[in-house]
Amino acid sequence: MKHLPKHLRPRWRYLAVGIETWPDAEIGRRGFQRALWYAAGNLLGDAGSADADLTLLSFSHDGGEGEAIVRARHGHVDDARAAIGCVAEVDGDPVGIRVRGISGTVRACEERYMGRASANSTQRDVAFEGAERSAIVRGDAYDVRTESGYVGAAAFDTE
Amino acid sequence: MYEAVHARPDGDATAARHAATAARYGYDGVVVRTREGLDPVGGNAAEDRSREAAALREANGVDVVDAVEIDADDATSASGAVGNYRSSRTVVCLVGGDDGLNRFAVEEPRVDVLVRPMDGSGDFNHVLAKAARDNDVHVEFDLGPLFRATGGKRVRALADLRKLREIVTYYDAPHVVSANPRSHLELRAPREVVAAAEAVGFDPEWIEAGLRAWGEIAERNRDRRSGAFIEPGVRLGRYEEDG
Repeated sequence: MKHLPKHLRPRWRYLAVGIETWPDAEIGRRGFQRALWYAAGNLLGDAGSADADLTLLSFSHDGGEGEAIVRARHGHVDDARAAIGCVAEVDGDPVGIRVRGISGTVRACEERYMGRASANSTQRDVAFEGAERSAIVRGDAYDVRTESGYVGAAAFDTE
Repeated sequence: MYEAVHARPDGDATAARHAATAARYGYDGVVVRTREGLDPVGGNAAEDRSREAAALREANGVDVVDAVEIDADDATSASGAVGNYRSSRTVVCLVGGDDGLNRFAVEEPRVDVLVRPMDGSGDFNHVLAKAARDNDVHVEFDLGPLFRATGGKRVRALADLRKLREIVTYYDAPHVVSANPRSHLELRAPREVVAAAEAVGFDPEWIEAGLRAWGEIAERNRDRRSGAFIEPGVRLGRYEEDG
């Protein structure tokens, strides 16, 4: 179809989103997009969800950490932020989620907020709560494996 | 702004991980509401903080407050627990969710915060709101279900929050806001908390005030524990020079 004249094209804002999960969680682009729309539909309703848009433009996730770019309609950024905050889990895996920043172009968004993955994660044995346990270490974050699943710890806890 | 977290063993992340994540998210501090989450201040405190809280503050650059959440079966046992913990903890919270406990909490000035008053069979009314205002007991608005529940459970929680909001704002009772995170993954940055609360009808500035209130409670109680404090308005110290 013919391009819209510039003044009729929708104006977008691009939200850089940081994602954190347990190290064994596998979340995919489709699952994350579904969770995003589901959260928006539940919080804002169909009408508000359509206004906010929330299309996922780029997504990466690996080893307990990820990032994404989410498109929102200009003027509905606060609604988009609220819906993103309400994403509690993706395909049953709990996720920590935060909006790192907002840009007017995808490129500015990428340059300013993306690609900040911390040091690669490594597996190591650490002393935690008086026992030797294996942990996935990512920078200062230690995800320690226990009998009842992972426990979030920090370097502080293992000294 | 502060967030009040459930640390291990009550949650899935340690107090240190909560503090590190909160620092990254832009909080000024965390209130650790789990009893075993931190060493208590007790008698041999480093300054006015527990030694572990002071070390965490040093490591992460955010304030860490040792608190306790008293989850009692009835008002009698709650009363005993409040007496036990008041002298050793900076912030004392009492879990509501039962008419008797809600009533006890708002009528007890030694309690700082009544948490989750609308849970279970708990309810709130104008009598409790007036008592909370007079005794300076903060009423907690638990935004946990807004972030993590779905369906009917979430609808009921939001309906309860709205009712609570209407009563508390009418009587101008003190309030605090928290998302009750049980792990670092459930923690949300202050702007997300404000945006989500705004989407369900809260005033953004009021929510920010509720997040800041945790810090104000901690500061007031630390001042009270310090040696210079005698009673409200009376302090040990030098005369003001310009008098």
